[in-house]
Amino acid sequence: MTAIATTPPNGKAQTLKTTFHRETSVSIEISADPAIIWALLTNASDYPSWNSTVTSIEGNIALGETIKLKSILDAKRIFKLKVKEFEPENRLVWGDSQGNRVYSITNNGKSIFSMTEKIGGIMFPLYAKMIPSFDQSFEQFALDLKKEAEIIMNNK
Amino acid sequence: MTVELFNQEFEDIISHLKSYILRITASLADTEDIVQDTYLKALDKLHTFRGESSLKTWLFTIASNMAKDNLKAQKRWVENVTDITREAALTNKEFFREAMNIRMTSPNGQYEAKEHIAFCFTCISKSLPLEQQLCVFLKEVYEFKVAEIASILNTNEAMVKYYLHAGRSKMISIFDGRCALINKEGICHQCSELNGIFNPKQNTQKELMKIDLVKEAQKGDKEHLFDLRMNILKEIDPINSKASELQLHHLEHNRQVMEKYL
Repeated sequence: MTAIATTPPNGKAQTLKTTFHRETSVSIEISADPAIIWALLTNASDYPSWNSTVTSIEGNIALGETIKLKSILDAKRIFKLKVKEFEPENRLVWGDSQGNRVYSITNNGKSIFSMTEKIGGIMFPLYAKMIPSFDQSFEQFALDLKKEAEIIMNNK
Repeated sequence: MTVELFNQEFEDIISHLKSYILRITASLADTEDIVQDTYLKALDKLHTFRGESSLKTWLFTIASNMAKDNLKAQKRWVENVTDITREAALTNKEFFREAMNIRMTSPNGQYEAKEHIAFCFTCISKSLPLEQQLCVFLKEVYEFKVAEIASILNTNEAMVKYYLHAGRSKMISIFDGRCALINKEGICHQCSELNGIFNPKQNTQKELMKIDLVKEAQKGDKEHLFDLRMNILKEIDPINSKASELQLHHLEHNRQVMEKYL
């Protein structure tokens, strides 16, 4: 079972480390329709307006497309990421050779948003220490998404 | 509903329908076509109208569907449309000659800064994704409820709320960055610049201070300023106002420039 399935929806990030991989997850309950959460997650140009962890995203978040993402974690670096899965209002996956970021939304009366990123590989032990912790930015991402989605949901 | 009653009610709605489609297509000719086709289609389907929504909502649904298929409506412009079209106008003597002719001879050729503020919003709103633009106009100018907009655009209320929020936020941000009426650092002075050209005897600042949007600009409440801007659009019928012919000439110019630019 991966961390994403077990992380409680309390907005607190959890990180699992092994020799060759590191996996960070966060989950949070959002009082908003999954359509709103999905729209926020897939509208690239709007990210900086609500998400304080993302500086910019260029490109179209759609299956098979490549996006260019700038994050506060490494301001000088542009991450080129391919959208690998795109199931509206349910699951979004993008990533590169280093790892994948998985977003999921479940709704059983309440919307639960979860996000996990697994990075690693055989060379991982050589550079693991150079990669900053994702915990804080994951928690902020989830909090920003919750805040924006609930503002939109409560609009009359 | 009888045809006679339908015709009566259509007459009450037609000016709103026309201004809505004009603001989406930026083309008076396409607006006339779409509104005429809306009338004919509604008349043809009148027996299916059960009054589950208001006639206004039903007509806006038909017109919106036609607008969504219209190429000029689909065309998206850029945020700095007024910079680009201004540059083009400055090198186009014919544009100013015709504008001055309208100003001097047409009963609908006056220049009013308020009308230009509404015109400016129309142009910049075409930089939004089409769904966001439609939602912003339907809610903020034509005062439909979220559930009615969802019905008009054949989507759900959650998506309407998202489109509205995203569209409104973007427009607030664009005007906050550009519009010198509400931000001293704003780079666009076009409404006052044109007032100087078309109304040289007027004190432009004095005229601008008659507008609530300008009067309240210093308070800096961006959401409120956006609402005041929307009030201006609600007041103005861009097809029949005192300045309509001048502004329609300007709109036609801007659309042609954008079609070449994009």
